[in-house]
Amino acid sequence: MEKLIKSNELSLILKYALIDLSRNYKKISSIIITLFISLFILSSILTIEDSLKKELNDNARALLGGDLEIDYNRVQGNLDLVNEVKTFATISQMVEFSTMLSTTKEANNQSLFSRIKTVDENYPLFGSVVHEPVGALDRIHKEQNTILVNENIFKTLKLEINEKIKVQDQLFTVVGIVKTVPDVSGFVAFGDFALAGKQTLELLKLNNLGSFLNYEYKVRYNDGDNPNAIKQRIETLFQDDEKVILRYPENSASGLKRVINNFSQFLSLVSISAMLIAGIGIANTLLSFINQNNMSIAVRKAVGFFSLNIKAIYYLQLFILLFLITSAAYGLSFLIIPIVDGYLSQGLGLNIKPIISIVNFIKVFLVGLLVLIIFTIPTVSAIDQVKASNLFRNVFQNLQFYYSKKSVVLSLFLLSILILLFTIGSARPIYSLGYFIAFFACLIVFFLLSKLIIYFFRSLKKISNIPLKVSIKNITQTKSITPITIMSLGLGVTLLLTLALVGTNFKREIAKSIPEIAPDYFFLGIQKDDKKIFEENILSMDDNLNLETVPIISSAITKINGVDPTTYINSNNDSYWVIRSERRSSWMDVAPKDNPIIKGEWWDLTKPDELQISLDAKVAEDFNVQLGDIFTLNIYGREIEGKIVNFRAVNYRDLSINFAMLFNPQFANNIPHEYLATAKFSAGKSLDETKMLDVLPSLSIIKIADYLSKVTAVLDKVFIAVTFISAITILIGLIVISSAIMVQGKVKEFQNLVFKILGFSKKEIIYSSLIEFIIIFASVILIAILFATIGSQFIIENIFELNWQFDLKILVYLGLGIGSVTLLLIMLTNLKYLNPKVYPLIRNQ
Amino acid sequence: MSTLLRLKNVNLKYQTGKDLIKVLQGIDLTTKRKETISIVGESGSGKTSLIMLIAGLEKATSGKIFFKDQEISKLNEDEVAEIRRKDIGIIFQSFYLIPNYTAVENVALTLELNKFKNPEQKAKNLLDRFGLKHRFNNLPSQLSGGEQQRVAIARAIAMKPELILADEPTGNLDSENSTMIADILFNFAKEEGSSLIIVTHDSKLANKAKRKIKIKDGKID
Repeated sequence: MEKLIKSNELSLILKYALIDLSRNYKKISSIIITLFISLFILSSILTIEDSLKKELNDNARALLGGDLEIDYNRVQGNLDLVNEVKTFATISQMVEFSTMLSTTKEANNQSLFSRIKTVDENYPLFGSVVHEPVGALDRIHKEQNTILVNENIFKTLKLEINEKIKVQDQLFTVVGIVKTVPDVSGFVAFGDFALAGKQTLELLKLNNLGSFLNYEYKVRYNDGDNPNAIKQRIETLFQDDEKVILRYPENSASGLKRVINNFSQFLSLVSISAMLIAGIGIANTLLSFINQNNMSIAVRKAVGFFSLNIKAIYYLQLFILLFLITSAAYGLSFLIIPIVDGYLSQGLGLNIKPIISIVNFIKVFLVGLLVLIIFTIPTVSAIDQVKASNLFRNVFQNLQFYYSKKSVVLSLFLLSILILLFTIGSARPIYSLGYFIAFFACLIVFFLLSKLIIYFFRSLKKISNIPLKVSIKNITQTKSITPITIMSLGLGVTLLLTLALVGTNFKREIAKSIPEIAPDYFFLGIQKDDKKIFEENILSMDDNLNLETVPIISSAITKINGVDPTTYINSNNDSYWVIRSERRSSWMDVAPKDNPIIKGEWWDLTKPDELQISLDAKVAEDFNVQLGDIFTLNIYGREIEGKIVNFRAVNYRDLSINFAMLFNPQFANNIPHEYLATAKFSAGKSLDETKMLDVLPSLSIIKIADYLSKVTAVLDKVFIAVTFISAITILIGLIVISSAIMVQGKVKEFQNLVFKILGFSKKEIIYSSLIEFIIIFASVILIAILFATIGSQFIIENIFELNWQFDLKILVYLGLGIGSVTLLLIMLTNLKYLNPKVYPLIRNQ
Repeated sequence: MSTLLRLKNVNLKYQTGKDLIKVLQGIDLTTKRKETISIVGESGSGKTSLIMLIAGLEKATSGKIFFKDQEISKLNEDEVAEIRRKDIGIIFQSFYLIPNYTAVENVALTLELNKFKNPEQKAKNLLDRFGLKHRFNNLPSQLSGGEQQRVAIARAIAMKPELILADEPTGNLDSENSTMIADILFNFAKEEGSSLIIVTHDSKLANKAKRKIKIKDGKID
């Protein structure tokens, strides 16, 4: 390398790299296209992720609703402290709750379970509420019994402006439609919501557990005040209040950020798969390009160029090309932002703008560089094989990939860096690593498959059918493109089929759970005195109703074995939700059928005065608590100690009544409680919501099917994005195959010429190409189906913990689709070699 | 005249399967500076192999080769490339111009490699001297055989090498072009004081050299 540091040689290398690149770029168009597509996907993912995060960070205060949030959950909290804050900062008080909204038309009235946010005149402290008509937001403060509903409520209930709707037993006038609110970090991100004035609270009965009541006080510091000083002052003020949770802008939209991280990690992995497949094609195209320049390389060596200089010229060309392609791909990725913005501004009210990030540009460039170097080391090293002495003999050997020990070690080292780049710092590093292992395992299997096919067909000796003989010869010849076709097609098809199987299984499982397991309705907020009325009314609607009613109370875990529960679990743990805020718990005499006890005994009836707790086994494992450990619970302000007596296997996904904690009834029956019910109607029967709400206005009714259809709609959008990205991977695979065919172009042309001279018909040549394709594709699709089956089963059963089912139909449809497209491409690429001109070929021109 | 090139008991053998092919055997040869030599012999006698060894493009199986008193048979590929870059110009029967470089660029390549100033202008001057002024910016595919060979000669001699090796330089040309190429080569060698070793079947061309070496069955006859 020391020769390269001479500046005059470097400038010479640069000059020739530029000349070569400017004249040869057409010959390496497939490298440019595949590299561009892969880098464009990666750039788009990074740009969208960054733009979204920047929007969330820039609007963190708007998303939280203030510089600080004082959250008292179900209780109004210490108003003295809140009022004290009002002396040095602005406060917007809001209360969120869930209840039913019903139409008051003459007939066919409808109801919808919605979240209502009561706000005062200070709302919003940051950002703005997008609504129509103008002045509607002011009306909810000035006029009593007025409400602003979101677009979905407006459409679903077929409302009109100034129409009356019923909220519990009160009539409200719909004064407008609210399109977006700035503080989306909470509940309103995906559900239906409405805005009402603060006086609404006094009109409604909201103290039941089914209201999911939440008192929040948003704080805005006065201009010119030191934010840290004010923050500290508030923290000091509330330090002795155990019921309060203080939130800051940096905590806002944490759920949304987690979703963005997970989704972008997944898409990044798919995009790196596309890049690695592209790498196979790049190596192949470059080898063909170097072979075409075999003579030029030999001449350069003859006139005194070092082999290292020549390799440097090629590497420099790739480097320049990569820089230009990265710049174009990164620049064009900004065009995606308006499309994503269109999606997000409707749902979340987020307006994202493209963010130019040098770090992202370098990351994309670095990924491209690593892929390029890894795949071009054996190709460019082939330059060492070119001998200037060939010029005397007029013979040029066809170059092969050249692997030295040093280059293999270097390639593996760079590959490890590439994997680490996508693994370290990702949302779930273990999944990323697993993905890479699976990817390379598939790659090796497909490579071995290609070798097996070649070996098998080479051993076939007695074949009389000429087209079959020709196609087998094409598959097994020394310079065959069989390994490249099988590897690139195999990986792309495997990825697409796996995602398709995961998608169909996921959707089927969700759809399946509605009729088979889940109830039709959840009823919340049934007061102790109303239980009988509720049961009588609902049973009158269906004699064969499957009704389950259980008591519920709300409690918070304040200590575990006498210490702070947060010392038992990390806030990133899946089970952290159990201690995040108050949770609903129930009790029952016998263990539920779908919650089997896996450790310990059911209630000890000899100790009715002691609280006994049955705990979800997964929660117990995550908290690392044992039988006999003590939970201190805060129930209605009283601290009660309970002993864990058993662990249950709880499956929350069956959508029946499930609780993390169950209590012994002998003890719990004495605690003030209300009821939760589920109902499944027999065929032909349904709930008369209007009648039920007339009887029990404060009842909340959740229709399971509505929620599942919302989840399915979100999943559909996610799967469209995922399928699009994996389809691009297939496209790159097809470009790789097409380039591999073109690499063979000269040989193919010559071969077809010989066939022509020998009297082959065009039909027979096409027929041989068809047989060749069928042999390759049939073996690829079989292995791809096998991998997709194993992969999707693992994902569905281990990551989503759902039942997996083989879906032949989707595999057949996709297999046929990909097969047809690939065949068409191969035929089109081969078309120009079907009619070779005799004269230029035999004159070696 | 001092010694430019010395070959001492040089042998070249190839193993093809079980057969050992003796291409060159016990070659002893000394050439002086500014000497013009023609190498003749039947096809397969080892003429081209001999100049490949002299150019350092092939390694001798045994024996020693000295160029300007430096033993090139001991040097590695890059070290020989450095000598070739400065002191040895090679001309092939099939011209071997870089197809996507213009005539000027093909010639300037060696000048730039040797850090000449104004390489393009020098290349143009040389091509002009060889009657190719109207072909400066043409690609090799747009040139006739004679023109291509003149560009190839210009490329080989542009850096005024001590030694010019020409392998059948007129083999692909008609008689008129052959005469022109021969004149260019010999005139240049005379004017610039370069040594010229030319491998040829053409007796007229061979006779133009001061010294004639005949190779038969890998040995100097």
